[in-house]
Amino acid sequence: MTGSIDLGLNVLDHQLLDSENRRCGKVDDLALEGGPGEALELVAILCGPGVWRARAGLIGRAAAWLGGGGRVRIPWEDVAGVGSHVKLRKRAEELGLGRGDDRLRPYLEKIPGADR
Amino acid sequence: MVGRIVETESGRRIGRCTDMRADLGRGRPKVTELVVGRRGRLEHFGIGTPRGQTPDAVPWEAVVRIEGNRIVVRDGTEVV
Amino acid sequence: MKIFQVALGILAAIGGFVDIGDLVFNVSAGATFGYQLLWVVVIGVVGIVVYSEMCGRVAAVSGKAVFDAVRERVGFKAGLAALVSSQVVNLMTLTAEIGGVAICLQLLSGLPYRWLIVIAGVALLVVVWVTAFEWIERIFGYGGLCLLVFAVAAVKLHPAWGSVGHGFVPHMSTQSPLLYAYFAVGLLGAAMTPYEVYFYSSGGVEERWGPKDLKLNKVNAMIGYGLGGFLSFALMITGGALFLEKGIQPEFLGTITLGAEVPLGQIGLLLALVGILFAVSGAAIDTLFSGAYNLAQFLGWEWGRYRHPRGAPRFTVTWAVLLVLALGLVMTGVDPVQLTEYAVIFSAVALPLTYVPIFLVANDRTYMREYTNGRLANVLGLLYLVVIVIIALTAIPLMILTNVGQN
Repeated sequence: MTGSIDLGLNVLDHQLLDSENRRCGKVDDLALEGGPGEALELVAILCGPGVWRARAGLIGRAAAWLGGGGRVRIPWEDVAGVGSHVKLRKRAEELGLGRGDDRLRPYLEKIPGADR
Repeated sequence: MVGRIVETESGRRIGRCTDMRADLGRGRPKVTELVVGRRGRLEHFGIGTPRGQTPDAVPWEAVVRIEGNRIVVRDGTEVV
Repeated sequence: MKIFQVALGILAAIGGFVDIGDLVFNVSAGATFGYQLLWVVVIGVVGIVVYSEMCGRVAAVSGKAVFDAVRERVGFKAGLAALVSSQVVNLMTLTAEIGGVAICLQLLSGLPYRWLIVIAGVALLVVVWVTAFEWIERIFGYGGLCLLVFAVAAVKLHPAWGSVGHGFVPHMSTQSPLLYAYFAVGLLGAAMTPYEVYFYSSGGVEERWGPKDLKLNKVNAMIGYGLGGFLSFALMITGGALFLEKGIQPEFLGTITLGAEVPLGQIGLLLALVGILFAVSGAAIDTLFSGAYNLAQFLGWEWGRYRHPRGAPRFTVTWAVLLVLALGLVMTGVDPVQLTEYAVIFSAVALPLTYVPIFLVANDRTYMREYTNGRLANVLGLLYLVVIVIIALTAIPLMILTNVGQN
């Protein structure tokens, strides 16, 4: 990872892929640290319905409520690279991502033909 | 940061911040510039900037303080 | 072998082009204005070719499907609005298609409509659950080819070929220009239905297209959709040659099949019904998946029609829920043909939300590299954006002014 990127254009709202290329969420927001007179650094990616509240007013609050309001913070150290998608160094489970899919899977597996 | 208005200390309006440019080096990305104005917005919409020009931006070091909806930069700061 | 496969794919695409919206709008336009609006179909078909090629290219080069692009370009807030509106339109379309399936089954079997809705729903669920997607595409695509009976019927009805030819030249000779405009908007909306591009681009991502597949993408888009448009001409010509002459307004799906039955007899009727059944069922499945694609892509969930249901649980649950919702709506007894009209008109309103972000990503060098839109794609793309915005703005006023095409 070198060169410069526009955070809003190239990172925000992009697909997150875990170390096994599993789709495990979107970059819902970015956490920056620092302020005028010092360095401003991107420290983490924020993900989950709890983050939408801040991004889309009333409709975002409604969506966050529907989505259960959870949020996950992925420290930048766990990001492997930024391209078309944002690639992570760890598996989704380790980061607390993709839980919805993991929770539903056991039920679906009980239905015959679920792994045709 | 994005969406705030960028002004100089003496109140000259430079434009609205549309994005933040960061350096991907070792460690955490450091914000180097704030992208301002219409050209940045066009780029966001993929309209592209003509022939290698980058959109207008002000360096992060020029930022003096942030007051509510305004980002105040040092006098004499020009877009690059 | 490769050519053979491509040919099969194209056949499936032709059979899969026509859905209930095309059936309703093409035949009614023919029944109202004869062949005058054929030129609009050409514009619509070129539009879907241009934009599906663009979506396929974006998918192949950047690995982004439509709703990935929508969210990245317009952000969470506007993207959410686009998502909600396209899901509403999608659900309306799905409901109409399922109603269409039930009507076909009813015409074929004579059983009560409500039972057949349940049967149609269960059948769709089972087919989607147990059948590998390659097969779904082929079965419904080839079955839909029975619609070619309308092409034969169109010839057999001996239309005045001079006026048919004249129909490809834009002109308007009518007392009711508003109605003419309403049908024009409906025909464009039906030809450029957004779910087609959701489905197409997601398929491209899933099949892991790369730059080497761009030629295939072009051929698929041009021939598949182009020849699909040929079926639309046939439908409109039967509408003009039969219904306009006799003064019939096809308000039921069953009336549309008369277009094949009158010139070709029982066999024509049977082929038309089977063709409509397969085409509309296939469209129902496409719409169903599109709804699940959009939500999963917007939220970053695992998705895919080639995945086992356990590989993409939330995606699977989403389409299952959409199917149940649509079945519930059909059960309320809403008239599928009328619902189709509303669905097409509302989808015309939602068109810019889909096509603008795609146009923007297709122009973005960072992702598209040397495969960004060329001059031709941009000129056509921009022209169509203008067309799309015009129809989006006029669709609802025209619907109200013409009393949903009734005046």
